[in-house]
Amino acid sequence: MTVLGASAWFRSGRDSSAVRVVSVLRVAALLSVAGIGSFAAHSHGRVAHLLLVIGLVGVPWSTIVFFCADRPDNRIALYGGPLGDLLVLFAVQAILDGAVEPVLPGYLVLVAFTVYTVGRSFAAMIVTGAIALTLVAHQIGPGEQRLHTSITLPLFVGVIAVLFLVERTTVLQEKATAASERLQGRADKILEHVADAVFVTDGAGRMLVCNPAAERLVGRPGQALAGAPCHEVVGLRSGERALDCSSGCALLRMPATDGHELWREDSSGRRQPLLAEAAEVPASNDGGSEVVHSMRDITRLKQAEEAKTLFLATASHELKTPLTVISGFASTLLRYPDIDDKMRGSALDAIHTRSIELTRIVERLLLSSRIEAGRLDLDLSVVNVTPLLRERVKSSAAGVSRTVTFNAAAEVPDVIGNPQALTTVVDHLLDNAVKYSPNGEPVVVDVSTGDHAVCISVGDQGIGMDAEQAQHCFDRFWQAESTDVRRFGGTGIGLYIVHSLVDAMGGSITVDSEPGQGSTFVIQLRREGAVPEQQPTSRKGEATSIREFMRQIGVPERTNR
Amino acid sequence: MIVAVAAANIALGLIYTCYGVMTIVDLKNGWRTRGLSHFGLAWIAMAFTCGPHHLEHGLHAGISAGNAGSLDFLAVGLGAPAGLTWFLLRVEAMFGGSGDRFIPGTPRAVRWLPWIAVAYVVAVVGAMAWILRDGVHLTPRITPNILLLFVYSLIGYYLLRTQLYNRGPSGGWSLSGIALTIVFPTCGVMHAIFAAYASSGSYAVESHGLVIDWLAVPAAIYFVWVVRALHLGTFTDWNEGAEGVRTTVAIA
Repeated sequence: MTVLGASAWFRSGRDSSAVRVVSVLRVAALLSVAGIGSFAAHSHGRVAHLLLVIGLVGVPWSTIVFFCADRPDNRIALYGGPLGDLLVLFAVQAILDGAVEPVLPGYLVLVAFTVYTVGRSFAAMIVTGAIALTLVAHQIGPGEQRLHTSITLPLFVGVIAVLFLVERTTVLQEKATAASERLQGRADKILEHVADAVFVTDGAGRMLVCNPAAERLVGRPGQALAGAPCHEVVGLRSGERALDCSSGCALLRMPATDGHELWREDSSGRRQPLLAEAAEVPASNDGGSEVVHSMRDITRLKQAEEAKTLFLATASHELKTPLTVISGFASTLLRYPDIDDKMRGSALDAIHTRSIELTRIVERLLLSSRIEAGRLDLDLSVVNVTPLLRERVKSSAAGVSRTVTFNAAAEVPDVIGNPQALTTVVDHLLDNAVKYSPNGEPVVVDVSTGDHAVCISVGDQGIGMDAEQAQHCFDRFWQAESTDVRRFGGTGIGLYIVHSLVDAMGGSITVDSEPGQGSTFVIQLRREGAVPEQQPTSRKGEATSIREFMRQIGVPERTNR
Repeated sequence: MIVAVAAANIALGLIYTCYGVMTIVDLKNGWRTRGLSHFGLAWIAMAFTCGPHHLEHGLHAGISAGNAGSLDFLAVGLGAPAGLTWFLLRVEAMFGGSGDRFIPGTPRAVRWLPWIAVAYVVAVVGAMAWILRDGVHLTPRITPNILLLFVYSLIGYYLLRTQLYNRGPSGGWSLSGIALTIVFPTCGVMHAIFAAYASSGSYAVESHGLVIDWLAVPAAIYFVWVVRALHLGTFTDWNEGAEGVRTTVAIA
């Protein structure tokens, strides 16, 4: 009855729960057999030793079956377990001098469980159990009322076989229904989470189904779209012409490609570029057909393309300016070989300055390209930041008519970084600070020391940025205003390079800025010898031991709470 | 020697039993929010078989001055400091501390551990062979000890594998992990030594220990099953949404 109770309890759980129950009981039973054998080895001789052997063979086998029962419908657990039970019972019977009566109830209970395990029929198990109890009662009843085993067993097996077939058919039907529901659920889930907008229309172009992405695209709930004409809801356009769906889906008639670049007007009247495609699929309920439309919003892709175009234009402009100067002075020198030494010197000086400028622009472009391609691999070493920063500040102040203040603590610890990368970072930040402070405001460089890091801040009192601009300032090709390109020059990749280099050195960079008040960029670089900060493994009052052991034994964490 | 073995065993017995109680408290505290933890139950079952096993062994050795050989000290001599370290770290965590110590890089002491482990195993195997030099008298009562040697070694292997795996991303070692990794194989070694002494006829196999060892076998199998099931993902335990458990490397 304990077994029946346990089975009923587990019945409400997983599909393979019955197999698990039987598996647990099997391990426990065989451990008991081995234990009894080992305890009684001295007093009961041969029988105890044979029990011990059965236990020792049975425990590993039953443990394997127990472990296999974790996987639903595992054949070893499903069929190997009961088969092994029969073998064990035969062995026990052989040890007990072939007596059938003592082990017959065991056989019957086992068969009941086998039926339950294979057929997963609780009803069959109850019926089998009732028959088993009847047979046991007959076995222990008066001699003339006993049923002969040769009659009862075939009868019993026949009843079980019929029950098994009936139950098996029912189970198969249940399985088929469950599989169908599972597939439907899976398809719904995929459709729900796919990023592209998906519409399904009937042959006449009326909306049948759409996913949440489609609802977001058209800005209307799915229920409101049911039955509405597709071309009115979506309003796709090719060039300046609306698609004509009056004689069937226009998208379907377009030549097969990887998608068609179309556009529509969104609710705010903005032009929304889309990559659209359509395919004909069989209808779910009759012999007709339906059309699946998928649409991807490529607004960001287009913006990125525009940014690249703008970048090419600005980079060309940036490159052209020094090149024009170099070319002009070189032409002058060629045309007038007899000019005086002073003018020749000025020309050569201008060529030299501009060629350095040109080299720096090209280096930035190449560095940006390397970062984008993921080929930025810095060799990190111990860097003494104070002399490096002092030298860069001095160099920068010499090149511009500006006050650049450098403040550093008496003893700044070394950091983990790359001297060349740090030089590039500081030069970029100083250039920016000077460039975006057009009225000659001072620039301040501070170095301070934290527990685990050294902080380098570069501050100016220039035009500053608002919150949104500050949020995007480290993006590639980004500039606060398109007009800045003309006002201040630049390619829009400087801060992107700075951020990437700091990141590659294992540090971090933040910006604090106010429009009209200036900007302060703060870099944090890891101190040499700083031990990585360890988060406490647990907090007071939380379950500590269990989770810590799980962590140490490598139990994977799951986050789908 | 007998006194030392008895004292070390009693100390270990108390530590593991206290640890079992601590885990029960953990389980009780987390039950309402996280539900039942099979992992916790299995760990409690192991603690309450390991603890009484050591207590029983220590008391028998101390009171009846029997069943204590010099090789026992080989097992408890290594197991006791490791078990105590793990226990103290857990006590620290219970009172809000970190419950672990990060060992950056691979210090010389840790670098020597594999060689020490090899030497230890060679010493244990050699000593067992020496004990059994006069012949092996196998008795069925050593059965649970052999089974436990296998299961505890398996758990030790799981732990070692995780420590080696974590070494790369974290850039160091976890003291808590190293201590726990040492505990399980030494427990296995202790059972192996007991089996060797019993098979040599040096130990009388008392029924108390046998009962406890037979109870330890299903507890250990249950534990391995839970760990395996959690790895397979056939059920979830307190590993679900266990934020804050992972040791993250962060630069301030």
